[in-house]
Amino acid sequence: MPGLVGIDVGGTFTDLFYAGDGVRPPVVLKVPSTPHDPSDGLLASLREAGLDPGDIAMLLHGTTIATNALIERRGARTALVTTAGFRDVLELGRRDRPHMYGLTGVHVPLVPRDLRYEVRERMDYTGAVLVELDEAALHDLATALRDGDVESVVVSFLHAYANPAHEMRAKAILAAANPAWEIVASSEVLREYYEFERTSTAVVQGYLQPLVSRYARSLGRRLGEWGFARDVLIMQSNGGVAPLSRLGARAAHIVRSGPAAGVTAAARIAAEAGFSHVITADMGGTSFDVAVVIAGQPKVADLTNLDFRMPLRLPMIDVHTIGAGGGSIAGVDRGGILQVGPRSAGAVPGPVAYRRGGSDPTVTDANLVLGRINPRSPMTGSDAGLDLEGAQHAVAELGARLGLGPEATAEAILAVVNQRMAGRIRLLSVERGLDPQAFVLVAFGGAGPMHGAALIREVGVRAMLVPRFPGVLCAMGCAMADIRFDFSQTVEKPLAELAAETLAAILAAQRREGEAELRRSEAPAARIAATHSADMAYAGQIHALRVPVEAGWTPARMTAAFNETYCAEFGNTLEGIPVVLVNLRTTVTGQRDAAPPAAPAATAASGPPAPAAHRRVHFGTWHRTPIYRRSDLAAGVALHGPAIIEQADTTTVIEPDMVLRVDRHDNLIVELGR
Amino acid sequence: MNPVTLAVVRGSLEQIADEMDLHLIHAALSPIISETNDCAHGIFHPTTGETIAQGRYGLPVFLAYMQFTVQNLLKIVAEQGGFRPGDVWILNEPYIGGSHLQDVQIVAPHFVGDRLFAIMASTGHWMDIGGNVPGGWAPRAREIHQEGIIIPLVKLYEGGRLNAALVRMFTANVRLPEQIAGDLAAMSNVFTVGRRGLDALVARYGVATLNDCLDEMIVRSERQMRSHISEIPDGSYRFTDWLDNDGIVDEKVPISVTVTVAGEEMAIDFTGTAAATRGPLNMSRNTTLSACYVALKHIFPDVPVNGGTFRPVRFTVPDRTLLSAEYPTAVGGYLEVLGQVINLLFGALAQAIPDRVPAAFFGTTGVTTMSGVHPRTGKYFVAVFPYPGGYGATRATDGLVHATSPQSMANFMSIEMSEHRFALRFAHFRLREDSGGAGLHRGGCGTEYAIEATAECIVSVLGDRVDHAPFGIAGGGPARPSRVVFHTGGRDWVPELRSKQEKQVLRAGESIGLASPGGGGFGDPRLRPPGDVERDLNLGYVGPDTAATEYGVVVEQVSAGRLHPRYRVDEAATRARRAAPRG
Repeated sequence: MPGLVGIDVGGTFTDLFYAGDGVRPPVVLKVPSTPHDPSDGLLASLREAGLDPGDIAMLLHGTTIATNALIERRGARTALVTTAGFRDVLELGRRDRPHMYGLTGVHVPLVPRDLRYEVRERMDYTGAVLVELDEAALHDLATALRDGDVESVVVSFLHAYANPAHEMRAKAILAAANPAWEIVASSEVLREYYEFERTSTAVVQGYLQPLVSRYARSLGRRLGEWGFARDVLIMQSNGGVAPLSRLGARAAHIVRSGPAAGVTAAARIAAEAGFSHVITADMGGTSFDVAVVIAGQPKVADLTNLDFRMPLRLPMIDVHTIGAGGGSIAGVDRGGILQVGPRSAGAVPGPVAYRRGGSDPTVTDANLVLGRINPRSPMTGSDAGLDLEGAQHAVAELGARLGLGPEATAEAILAVVNQRMAGRIRLLSVERGLDPQAFVLVAFGGAGPMHGAALIREVGVRAMLVPRFPGVLCAMGCAMADIRFDFSQTVEKPLAELAAETLAAILAAQRREGEAELRRSEAPAARIAATHSADMAYAGQIHALRVPVEAGWTPARMTAAFNETYCAEFGNTLEGIPVVLVNLRTTVTGQRDAAPPAAPAATAASGPPAPAAHRRVHFGTWHRTPIYRRSDLAAGVALHGPAIIEQADTTTVIEPDMVLRVDRHDNLIVELGR
Repeated sequence: MNPVTLAVVRGSLEQIADEMDLHLIHAALSPIISETNDCAHGIFHPTTGETIAQGRYGLPVFLAYMQFTVQNLLKIVAEQGGFRPGDVWILNEPYIGGSHLQDVQIVAPHFVGDRLFAIMASTGHWMDIGGNVPGGWAPRAREIHQEGIIIPLVKLYEGGRLNAALVRMFTANVRLPEQIAGDLAAMSNVFTVGRRGLDALVARYGVATLNDCLDEMIVRSERQMRSHISEIPDGSYRFTDWLDNDGIVDEKVPISVTVTVAGEEMAIDFTGTAAATRGPLNMSRNTTLSACYVALKHIFPDVPVNGGTFRPVRFTVPDRTLLSAEYPTAVGGYLEVLGQVINLLFGALAQAIPDRVPAAFFGTTGVTTMSGVHPRTGKYFVAVFPYPGGYGATRATDGLVHATSPQSMANFMSIEMSEHRFALRFAHFRLREDSGGAGLHRGGCGTEYAIEATAECIVSVLGDRVDHAPFGIAGGGPARPSRVVFHTGGRDWVPELRSKQEKQVLRAGESIGLASPGGGGFGDPRLRPPGDVERDLNLGYVGPDTAATEYGVVVEQVSAGRLHPRYRVDEAATRARRAAPRG
């Protein structure tokens, strides 16, 4: 029986995870990415894995193509048609600036002002027509635009979420004028109010759609030429996958494909290990990504700012990023206080230890000075190994300015960067009323397992889990995700004024739409599930709370659910103030049966293995510390810290007062000893 | 002092203040807090009252202001028997606190055992505070009593017990009692968040170590501020600008500043500024000092926000001027004065460090308030629209379009959301073409919009900067000034005081049109690359006349029709025109 393959195409590496088919063992590998045509790297990874098309039941894929097109402004030449008088909504945004302090910075909208056009039409907030659509003028405009080099056209009219009729009519007129255009109506992308956020979201879709459609066609063709004719599913930012055939229409949904896959994998692996509440900690070279999973469900954000004045209002797994990574630079501010990051040495020049010209001490250099990283680590790709002496020198120089010795300085660098990461974790957990003792921290990325032990101690998290393949977690996540579509509809009325039937009808329509989307996608789903939620607020509040609801609930039942959630979040309720239903939401998932085991179940080991080596590692003082190879640690092994576990893609640090066990899925579980 | 402890404690204190900000932003009922973050939270030294940490989500205007409030309050509370556990004090009196009556501050002591460890403060903007004009921006106020109710420094909680009678006094005197009660409850809850964070820190480090850290943090910040000041060339830099009028008498009002830099110290002297005005364009001394710090922080963004930053700067704010308002002077127009002071600091320091300072920003918050009874709900509403506008250009770039006031991070409400909540409708909302100051780098454009009443309502507007446009620096030109036009009874008209009008009735279908200023330009416009001017023309940022007269380029229009007009610059003719002497 053929197996599943997950492939995550990142900026630098394309990662592959093959789940195995019962005969062939799992495969995990990395090949360099090929930004000019990402499908080259993808096919190269399949060849490198020695896989034949017949070995693969399904291919699941995470991609940065959309993110990169936005960052590098390489999307389509897009025109925007708006309600007369509102051409500049996209450029004006909501009255803001890029940074709290400093009046510098500019904004370059995805559609420049000379490609934004107005047409007479207007609805009021109930969706009643105030001014009819000027079809003749729109036809003239379409004709004039036809001869230019525009590839896609976005239509965004005021209050179209309440009544999309004018947008639909405009779309038809534009399509008749030029069938080659990709045309996006704001109400098709988002049925919610807030004209800037909806327009921006639709523009992101229109800007990406031609490029992503082309990529989907080309990838399908190349896989076909290779001989693979089965399903290809793409990871979306919401943690679910969508079929390749629908990718163009879902272009705006894949901008955070990779990070979403990582969180999905972490959640799944933790669940199999018996943890339902998870904090995911992905620490790489420049940034630290953290997300929270409650009862197996990753927290989802409604709005993400992709750039200054570029909001995307679609459900995306809520991944918070701070500038803290192995390459974060340590320095002393003008007041003489130690600071670490957000400035990063990046890949070039990189940490001093990497011998690429870096001279500022970084977090990686501190880890090296303290013996936590093996100086002969293969990570730099240099035969000479890491430059321990250079790192010691840079750290000592910084220490001289602080009045500290080299080891104390390195410890101080770690303390400061750990405090910043722990602070962010606390903001997402403890400060939201969640008890850290109920969580496991899943550490991945190159530097995550090196800092995870300190983070669980700092925040008070119960345990750290390091999965078997922490370097390809995003590729694994692709192979594990369900198919998922989200729908929303703005209501914006007091619940007391709404009938139960109205609510039921909206939810039923969203469910039908999702089921139809699943059928169209022809993706293999064993079961279809729909969940509903409602955004509600006390009349007057801007920030609504998301509350799970069920089809068939009365307005009174919804009000009660809101009060309960509000009290849990803010410690009191505001009885007497009417509760407003802002949006109704439905998520339809096609759940896949053939989810692979997160890691092969291993047989229990007889006892702890012999360490591969010993090294001096600094934990307050120097400790003679055993070094283990990850591959030597079988399920059932238990050890006491201090210890260092090395594998090709990361190093796991176990502090002196901690204990490690390897669970039956081959995960490392690290806890505070008693 | 252990440098690791110091760094970690500083980070932790900033985090606690951030958490207090976020708690209120998420829990407040008023859009002005939840949507525009019109609030601030800080932790203060128990004996000196100096700022130890301030949240990074609250508004810049409250930067220095809360420290001076807490310092005033320490004296008054001491006279009344000192702080006791479970007490929470409240005030909005601008002469002790700052800004205007809508900004309500509550202050609570934090005790460790029976010792006062720190003071916490929360400031939040209330949507209505009673008074003559809904929302509180009364352009014709002659004394503070017309602007709302005054809350002197009193106890909201005593020994943990809420003074419910006081809350009933507030709710009986404001137009939005539900919102105000909700916001007050949310503000009081913030201290629970602060206490939890401080207790955890005390448990970890102990009071003695933390006290050392607090003192040391202030010393380090002072050192940091001194290092920045020392990079400004020594000298005395003077700048004067004018308010159009004070809302009562149509005479221009001068404000002057002299910034003197000597080594690591700076003196800011407002001698030459007009006396307190008869109208609402005044502000308290605390707010004047805060405005100066906002300007400095925009020039040197990495300066931390704590008491040490304030030590190397000396102020002279002469008594009885419009920058040192005393009872019963009206202060409801303080945002206009504050914008003026921020620009004055830019204007003065541009003489010393032109490469680090922006040209004048749009300079007026021009608050428009619309209120009435919504025909759908039968309930009273108050809608507040602050001006967006252009930022001044800098050595590095053109100015930003549709920016928020420098003292604020407040957004403009969503048009669709406003039309749901209030009985109004936007007729248009667009970039104001050709409104940024010309320059090597161009000032950002302003914004123009018109709001139509869909049921009878009253409108007040409190702005300025119609007669005195935002200035350019280093040879850059001024921006277009503000413009306010009413459309009622079938005709367009401009208010007598141009940008100030109190409680104008709009019937359904009548409207107000607003056009905000852009930002000033940086550098000689004739040095702007002709290709950039061509792009500005094609995008409509600059008009053909301005391109010819200010930028000295020669252009021709190459197409129009249903699409937007396209222009092409004649490079050779432009070179010739720019080389010719200016006439």
